[in-house]
Amino acid sequence: MVATQATGKSSTPARQGDGVAAMAPRRPGLAALLGPQNKKVFPWVLMAPTILILAGIGIFPFIYALVLASSNIILSKPYLARSFVGLYQYQALIQDPDFWHALRLTIIFTVEAVFLEFWLGLGLALLFQRQLAGKAVIRVIILLPMIITPLVVGLIWRYMFYPGAGLVTYYVGGFFSLFGVRSLPFLADPHWALQTVIFVDVWEWTPFMFLILSAGLASIPAQPYEAAEIDGASSWRIFWTITMPLLRPSILIALVIRTMDAFRTFDTIRVMTQGGPGDSTTTLNVWLTKVGFEFFDASKAAALSLMMMLMIIILSFIFIRVFRARTENAS
Amino acid sequence: MTRLKTILGGVALAALLAGTGLAFAETDYQKKFQGTELNVLAPSMPQFGAIWKLVPQFEKEYGIKVHVDETPFDQTREKTLVDMQQGTGRYDVFAVDVMWLAEFAAAGFLEPVKKYVDDPKLTEADFELNDFLPRILSGTGVFNDTLYNIPMGAGPVGTTFRKDLAAAAGVTIPAKFDAKFNTDFMRDMIKKMHKPENGVIGFANVPARWFWGVTYLPYLYAFQKPDTVGNEYIGPDWKITINNQHTIDSIDYYVSLKQYMPADGASWGIGEATSAYQSGKAAGVWNYQDFIAGFFEDPKMKDIAGKSVHVHTPAGPDGVQDPWFGSWGLSVSVASKQKEAAWTFIQWMTSKQQQLAALKYGAGPTRHSTFKSEELAKVAPWWPSSYQFMLKQTNPDERVRIPEWAEISDIMGLQGNRVWIGEISSKEAAANMEKDMTAAMKKGGYYTAGAKLPKQAWRDLSYYDRKPSEWK
Repeated sequence: MVATQATGKSSTPARQGDGVAAMAPRRPGLAALLGPQNKKVFPWVLMAPTILILAGIGIFPFIYALVLASSNIILSKPYLARSFVGLYQYQALIQDPDFWHALRLTIIFTVEAVFLEFWLGLGLALLFQRQLAGKAVIRVIILLPMIITPLVVGLIWRYMFYPGAGLVTYYVGGFFSLFGVRSLPFLADPHWALQTVIFVDVWEWTPFMFLILSAGLASIPAQPYEAAEIDGASSWRIFWTITMPLLRPSILIALVIRTMDAFRTFDTIRVMTQGGPGDSTTTLNVWLTKVGFEFFDASKAAALSLMMMLMIIILSFIFIRVFRARTENAS
Repeated sequence: MTRLKTILGGVALAALLAGTGLAFAETDYQKKFQGTELNVLAPSMPQFGAIWKLVPQFEKEYGIKVHVDETPFDQTREKTLVDMQQGTGRYDVFAVDVMWLAEFAAAGFLEPVKKYVDDPKLTEADFELNDFLPRILSGTGVFNDTLYNIPMGAGPVGTTFRKDLAAAAGVTIPAKFDAKFNTDFMRDMIKKMHKPENGVIGFANVPARWFWGVTYLPYLYAFQKPDTVGNEYIGPDWKITINNQHTIDSIDYYVSLKQYMPADGASWGIGEATSAYQSGKAAGVWNYQDFIAGFFEDPKMKDIAGKSVHVHTPAGPDGVQDPWFGSWGLSVSVASKQKEAAWTFIQWMTSKQQQLAALKYGAGPTRHSTFKSEELAKVAPWWPSSYQFMLKQTNPDERVRIPEWAEISDIMGLQGNRVWIGEISSKEAAANMEKDMTAAMKKGGYYTAGAKLPKQAWRDLSYYDRKPSEWK
């Protein structure tokens, strides 16, 4: 055996038959440390650029929002003393009647819009299971509203409902005038205005539900239907006991995504009503924009956006738990 | 070949000299701005459209390229503040409405301009700051005794009516500023001119939430009694005083005009109301003096051209008239990297010559010389009668010039619009306005013990009558 010296290098070269080579291991270089040979570290190296980008656009803004929400910064008033205020902004929001008003409107908007979009989208998806002439063309037409930029959608419908001169107000007004009723104030009445923006949201996003649910329907195997037909089950029974349970995963995806989006709707409302008349269409996101970009209360806006994020996370969590439980029960 | 080269060289040199000659600057110092590009942010309004017609001439004279970004009026403040607080210097010149001057100046976003005015290298010899009406200059551009901009347009709000329809209804409209034109007269007149069966509404008002602070405020002032003037919504101790019977009466009056509008008029802004009048579907409309040329007297508008009479907003039951002050100034951004070039543009645009030249495009006067000119009387005869008003009666703090005005205006608009749509009563609105405005003032530090509070200049309007050159 050749004894190794402290340097780790053998004093004399090992010879064949001398036994286990006593060469001290070399310190790994950077390439070896981060390279493919290091199976523990290398996956992280490959993911590093993505993680950095995600941290930059996701984690840093979140932390910055947390810091902002714990201060009292009004960007248009840099002369006001800025200090750490802890949870004051959240407390102020919870005590603000405007917050509860906006939350109530947001819930009404979200529930109503998503409910209508779901059933209309499902109806269209079921219709498209049949053989229809020109199905491909009709599908494209159905998807068009979803493709248009929400801002443009808002503008189109704002002019459609333009007082006295819009396409909808003109013809609907003409129809109702036959019964002695003045034209409907679609965007000028607090109740009608909310329903009108919900209508526009349904027009715009029903195609999304249709798309997801169509894909879900297409993925359901034919055997359960064949078995049900042999057993003589009615269409209604088949729909509730086979189609809907098997469609649950797609329904979950569609509902979670649309609920999150509807909760945060801003563009169409802003363009059509600017939150009015009065504050009858001032949902949380519309109010947030007012607080943040009209009054530049950055801290209050940050606190509000974090509360909205929390609400959306809780909603999504509830959806997933409920659907998962039902799916497990069904199986 | 050598001869050809000489000829070609001569031609090239001549072209170069000619090009250089086209871009001469006013002073030798300003010649260094040639090739500079300036960015201007302004609202899309007729009076600005009028002065932008002079931009090519400025570019030719100074060799400075000017890019103008226009925004809708109700988005101007947002867009302006977003850029200002980022401090990028993207815009060199901002158009500043009088109601936002305090907010922008207090935040340090505007460059004081007096030093440029007094610099002969940068300001034309006959710029003559004292030619501006004192209240117009101080009201538009002075905050904390410091001059921050030069006014390019100012005037009162008012009402415009179709004189032919008034005559057909048997109504003789009093002269502008005549106290006979009061709230009762106006409502009675509107009622007579309201002919929905002919497709004509009595009055195209502007009740949209964002605009309420502009279009309703004259009525809040008109419904005061002589002894409550000065305390319309803020008291001597900065406490909110809006919750009173005058406010309730003024809101009730304003909302009573709703019956002479379409049912879906609650969200009408300036655009909708103006369109209704321009298309001959309204007998009367809200106006702002600087809009008259572009919105109501353009010869291309066949339905209304030459058929309108422009009067003030009505006096109230006790004869009080609204001392409206509206104006826009051009300011240099504190973040601009070419402040002197920006000032060169502003001083040229607001000079005597250019103000006169812009009259034919629909711009308005802010100088004594322009108000008294024959040109003004010829092209815009509705202006000279406003001279004394702008000189002596107008109150630059009619919309109180504090940083909290935007919030106060929004509160007024929200509550007022809610009354308009029947959600709450005027009494509730007044109470809500007091509560929310008080919260806004408290947030602004007005009720903090020992706070250094600004002077309430509207209680002694002689403050605004200081000679323009005396401001710092």
